[in-house]
Order: sequence, then structure tokens, then C-alpha cells
Amino acid sequence: MLYTVLYGFTIGAILYFISIGLSLTFGTIRVINFAHTLTYTMGVYALITLVALFKGYFALAATLSIILVIPISYVIERFIIRRLYGESLDYTFIATFAVSLIGVDTIKWIWGVNPYPLSDPIGTYLAIWGLTFPLYRVLIVLIAILLFLALNAFFKKTIVGKIVVAALEDKDGVRCLGINVDKYFSIVFVLGSALAALGGVLYAPISSIHPYMGLSILLLSFAVVIVGGMGNLKGTFLSAFALGMVMAITARYWSQGAETMVFIVMAIVLIFRPIDI
Amino acid sequence: MKSEESTLNKVPPSHANDLNAYPMKERGFINFLVITAGFLLITPILSVHRVTDFMIFCIFVMSFDLMYGYMGRLSFGHMLFLGTGAYCSGLFIRYISGNPLLAILMGTFMAGLLAMLIGLVIVRTTGACFSLINLAFNQIGFFLVLSPLRGITRGEDGFGVRVSSFGFFNFANTTFKFWFVLLCLLLVFYLLKRVTTSPYGILIRSIKEDETRVKFLGYNTFFYKWLTFVLAGGVGGLAGTLSALNYNFVNPNMMDVHSNVGVVFASLIGGAGNLYGALVGGVVYMLISNFLPIYIHRWEMFLGFSLLIIVFKFRKGVWGNIQDIWEYIQKRKGAPRLPA
Repeated sequence: MLYTVLYGFTIGAILYFISIGLSLTFGTIRVINFAHTLTYTMGVYALITLVALFKGYFALAATLSIILVIPISYVIERFIIRRLYGESLDYTFIATFAVSLIGVDTIKWIWGVNPYPLSDPIGTYLAIWGLTFPLYRVLIVLIAILLFLALNAFFKKTIVGKIVVAALEDKDGVRCLGINVDKYFSIVFVLGSALAALGGVLYAPISSIHPYMGLSILLLSFAVVIVGGMGNLKGTFLSAFALGMVMAITARYWSQGAETMVFIVMAIVLIFRPIDI
Repeated sequence: MKSEESTLNKVPPSHANDLNAYPMKERGFINFLVITAGFLLITPILSVHRVTDFMIFCIFVMSFDLMYGYMGRLSFGHMLFLGTGAYCSGLFIRYISGNPLLAILMGTFMAGLLAMLIGLVIVRTTGACFSLINLAFNQIGFFLVLSPLRGITRGEDGFGVRVSSFGFFNFANTTFKFWFVLLCLLLVFYLLKRVTTSPYGILIRSIKEDETRVKFLGYNTFFYKWLTFVLAGGVGGLAGTLSALNYNFVNPNMMDVHSNVGVVFASLIGGAGNLYGALVGGVVYMLISNFLPIYIHRWEMFLGFSLLIIVFKFRKGVWGNIQDIWEYIQKRKGAPRLPA
């Protein structure tokens, strides 16, 4: 059972990395960002190439691949997302979906469709009370908690973070103060994409890698964002871990039903608390 | 709220929405003739089997268009109904009776029933939530046929559907299949035309423009949205049963979440909010998806770029532009404009 809890926390942490970007983009610019799959998958594929390049230095390769994703996400923001401000949700949805289609096809072009194997980069186990936990998973959870604290500090202490939080509440109010909100939105977008890449990079060694890997995890992250509340940072954190736990516990008893259970939870939440967007 | 207002300003109201211009009765028959002639014209160029396939897809696009173009709710999980229709009719034929008509009724009814049930949940949401929850349900359906119901649906492999002929309903004959599907298409077209030009049709279009105001007028918008959802689901299910009978085969690809992009694309390229647009879009999409991959290897990339172009430059779609050109010509002549 302790293993189940640990697995739940791991999945929750990954979901948190990915959904934080979604939640922020939605809360600020009202764009449902399907292109998130692209940044996530791009990060993973960059990692594959870099790991082969620097044999063994996983941390270095991971950092580099996250940095590589930043210009890509900036290009997406500059040429696609910025044109979508104030559009109806349907069009933003379709446009970002189109971006992810283009991206997935590019990945297939460069790396091919076959799944890649990537092994656990640490491989050691942590022994506590006679139980052994894979150290890598423990690390992921720790990184997630650290990230949550760091993000909290970022949004509470720094001026950029404060502007973003204020814009989540009232965009026009912030604009009236003479602040160029769009610039901060693009920072938020790039930050969210980099975090998605982080999630991808950390999740890659314990999942299978193929060009469509982003889609299923993106659906799960949408569920997280809906359950946690769009643009609600703390809610996203809590719902990510709660749904991760739901997945892990379902997987323990009925392994194929794990993802479906998340959607069922989402449907129940939507019945009792419909969201108007 | 702000985004809704700007949508209203940016998307020009389709002229197809003018209801009083042409009553259904005068033009109905001509519509049918034009559609039949159109499909018969492309039959010799392509093949009978292919055109049958195109027509089934057109039915599906029309059902999607009722929800997206007319009611303004973008669903990213419409394949669920196609799949449900296909699976229910296929299973009916496999386990209960080989009667094709009963199977078609069964598939359509089950898809409608499913829409009734999940509609109660889905219709409460709007905008992105609507798309996502549809997507989620589609994923659940896909998963259900793939693994827990593996015993009867045979999972990934799918199963063959062998229909016994019934009177002159001989589904082994491609020509008969062609005419039967054409009949279904005309029937669906007639039904949807009637529905969308009725007061109910005005109401769902008003819901697209501004739901709050419709509520203020005292209408129970929830019921009308639900009804539209069920109708769209049922017609989508019909398309599914027909494709099961057409291919003689059912597999989980018919419920695949990824295929949704095709119907969205078809609806947009033809011009959303217009049944003719749905037909044109369906045919154009099927032509592209059938023939383009032969010449262009990177087919998804092409799809992505064209979707971007449509979203940014070409929102009215093919049919909307034809209408504009026609109107321009008519304006110069001083005659009434094209009926929609």
C-alpha cells in the first residue's frame, strides 16, 4: 500500500508540473492551450538525443532540454497565441490543436514513430523501515514540493509574480495601471511550457516515449485543471495530487481503469460545480 | 464575457441564418435534386464504394454541424457517437439478428440513448469545458470497448459484421448500398433542414449568440441544448451504423479520439452553421484525406497548417465564400440572393 501512495505522489507531481502551465495560460489569457502537448513531448525528445550525447549525465541533459524548449514555446506564443487574445474559445482550441498536430508530425519526421526506451537514471533504492523505494520517484515528489514552494514565493514576493496574480483577478484593472500585461502573459506562457517540459523530462524514464505521449497526459492535466479550478494555483496543486492518488489506487485494483477513473471524478465534479467559461 | 462579445463582433453572422427569405417548401425539392446530382456526378470520377464512404462522412459532419455551427458548442468527442452507433449495430447483428434495418435502428437508438444520458451532464457546460468533457467521455468510451468489454467487442482486433439480406435490402450489393446511403443522407438533410428552420432552430441559434438573453425570455435553455445534443448524437450514431454496414467491420478506430480533428476540420473548411457547408466540407475533407497522403507524406502537418489558415484567414469556409461571391453577383444584377 505504501508503494501505491508513493506512485500516486509521483503521478501527482508530474500532473502538477504540466497542469500549472495550463492553469496559468487559461487564467490569464483565456486560451485552452493544446500546444502544451508539443512542449511536453519536445522536451522528452530533446532529452533522448542529449542523453545519448552526454553519456550518463542525465541531470545536465535534462536541464539543457528544458532550456531548449523555451525558444520553441516563445515562437508559439509570439506567432499563434498572441493572435488569439480575445478570440472565442473554439478558435483558440482549434488553433493550438493545429500547432500540436504540426509539432507531433515534426517529431515523427525527425525521430520516427517507434517508441524509445529510457531507463531510470538513478536506479538505486531507498530503504526505509525494511521497505525499498525507488529513489528516482522520491526525488520527483521532492522536486514537486520544492517547485510548489518556489512558485508560491515567486507569485507572492516578486513583482512579476504579483502582476500575474493581479492579472488573474482582473486583467483590465492591471492594464489601467499602465502595465503592459501582454509581456507578462508571454513570460507566464514560457514558464508554463518550461514546466511542462520539466514534467516530461522527469516522467520520461518511467513511462513509454512515443510521439503521441503528450495527448493522454494532457487530457489528465485538463481534468486536474478543471477539478482544481481554472487559474487557481493552490487548487491545481491539491487536485493534481488528489487525482494522482486516484489513479494509483485504481491502478492497484484495476490497472486499465486508472485514467478513466480520473475522467469519472472530473465528470462528478462538473456535475456538482459546473464551470462557466 | 469579454471574449464572447468580441466573438460576436468578429464572426460575421452567416446569411444562411436569414429565415424568412426562403421557406422550406418552395426550395426543398430542388435541394434534394442538387445534392443527388452532385454525388452522382462525382461517382464516375471516384468509385461507388468511395462515394458511399463520403456520404456517410457527410451525414456525420452534418450532425456535428448541428451542435457546433448552429448551437455554437464545439465538441471534441463526437466520434463517441459514431463509435457507439457502429458498435451497437455491429453487436446486434453479431449476437441477436442479422436484420440490417433493425440493426440501423438499434445503433441510432443506442447512440441517442447514450447522448440522452451523458447529455444531462455535458450540456451544463459551455465553451472549452464542453469540448474537454466530450473529449473525456470519448476517451472513456474508447477505453471501454478496448479493454473491459473485450469479451464481446474483441478489443483492438474488432469484428466482422455479416448482414443477411432482407427482402430487397441486399447490403452485399454496392449499388444498393450507395442508393440506401444517399437516401439516408437526403433524409437527414431534410430532417435537419426542417429542424434548423423551425422556431426551435431559431432558438438554438439564439443560444449560440447569447444564452443569457434567451433565458431572460423565459425559455428553458437547458432542455433545448439537451435536445440538440441528443439529436446530434442520434444522427452521429446513424452515420456509425452505416459505416459499420459499409465496411462490414467494426474496430476501435471508429471511436478514436484523434479522429475528431477530421470532423472539426471538415465542418470548418465547408463553413460552419450551414448544412450545404457541411456537405461541401465533408466531401472536400474526404478528397483531401483520401488522395493527399499519396502525394504528400507529411499529412498531419498539412492538416495543422490548413487549420491555422482557416482559423486566421478563412473563417467562413468554402461555402461561405461561394455565398459571398454569389451575393456580389446578385447585387450587381439587383436580383434576390442565393437560398441557403
